[in-house]
Amino acid sequence: MTDSELDNFIICKKCHTLHRKIKLHKGTKALCKQCDSVIYRHHHNLIDNTLAISWVLLIALIIGFSFSIMSININGISQELNLPSLIIVIFNNEYYLVGIMLSFLIFIFPVTILLSLITLLTLMKLKKGKYLVKRLLILVAQIAPWSMLDIFFISLLVAMVKLFAFAQLELGVAFGAFVLIMTLDIFIFKRINFSDLWEEYNNIYKESR
Amino acid sequence: MKEKLIRCPICEAVNVDKGGEVKCRRCHEKIHSYKTVSYNRTVAFLITAMILYIPANVYPILITKQFGVVHKSTILGGIMHLWESGSYPVALIILFASVFVPILKFIFIIYLLISTKYNVKSSIIDKHKLFYITEVIGSWSMVDVFVVAILSVLIHFSAVQIIPGAGATAFALMVFFTMLSALSFDTRLIKK
Repeated sequence: MTDSELDNFIICKKCHTLHRKIKLHKGTKALCKQCDSVIYRHHHNLIDNTLAISWVLLIALIIGFSFSIMSININGISQELNLPSLIIVIFNNEYYLVGIMLSFLIFIFPVTILLSLITLLTLMKLKKGKYLVKRLLILVAQIAPWSMLDIFFISLLVAMVKLFAFAQLELGVAFGAFVLIMTLDIFIFKRINFSDLWEEYNNIYKESR
Repeated sequence: MKEKLIRCPICEAVNVDKGGEVKCRRCHEKIHSYKTVSYNRTVAFLITAMILYIPANVYPILITKQFGVVHKSTILGGIMHLWESGSYPVALIILFASVFVPILKFIFIIYLLISTKYNVKSSIIDKHKLFYITEVIGSWSMVDVFVVAILSVLIHFSAVQIIPGAGATAFALMVFFTMLSALSFDTRLIKK
């Protein structure tokens, strides 16, 4: 089978059922006939929208990583939690392995994914850098399962509930930023399939192939 | 249609399965190694993770120092403490994330591995769904490690201190290896 013939097919990521692609109307989505999960959507302005959201995410991420997430107050003595202090305290306690894993899972990977997304989308808009775009798309797909900001957010909520009992909690600016990050993160990674971006990639760089 | 079609896990393109090593036609990445290689790799990572699961539960994950009195608590101990103090939803979240999820992942991967060697009567779609669930719930187990890290930063006073225990390291490594095990599993091995 040739590439263009294969491009007419799509496989559901949940149940691996083979589907033949059809052209979608504006604002509609295609569901799997076996498991009813969304296989692909019609995107009006995929690159522009994603790029805009990525920039907002980056700003929110900078705020979330540099300011206080929450502070605790026991009898007038207060202690503050922010992301750098989280990693530093783990290293100070000599839990190097956990420290390295934490810094990768909640700091390095999310930032890498976001910066790669911004770079590759900008390049796609300019229709330049075919090779770099391809490498970045692969990089994002490979490290996406290792980015655990969402789990970190849930952990924040769990820790809050644990602390409510015996201390006064004050939420910081970064907590608000994390709420925003979560919403946008779900929007980007649940709504946009990587196959859509790859198709866009094929369309854009077809002439230079 | 005679040819078997497979999905590239990286760029989601449809590829023809020629058996053995497959390179994706769109992203040119190696998407599958030889079936025996990925099978053995999955088994190796799974066994490592299962061994690490023991120290993760036996050693304390959280050490509380209160006015010089040291109190160590394991994962199950922490859950029991939460349950007794009345925060049932949180206790359930932790119970699900750090006890059920790893065990479920072990069972799912073992089941998938067995079903590749022996004939197990269940539909191929169900197995693919099972594998998808295994991949998705993988990172959830990290909740406990993150919570311990957060608590150790916030409760850092001269009178009261929370320090992560050796169990945290074992637990984090366990999650890491179960995720590797799931990622190295070859979906082509799934058959009727």
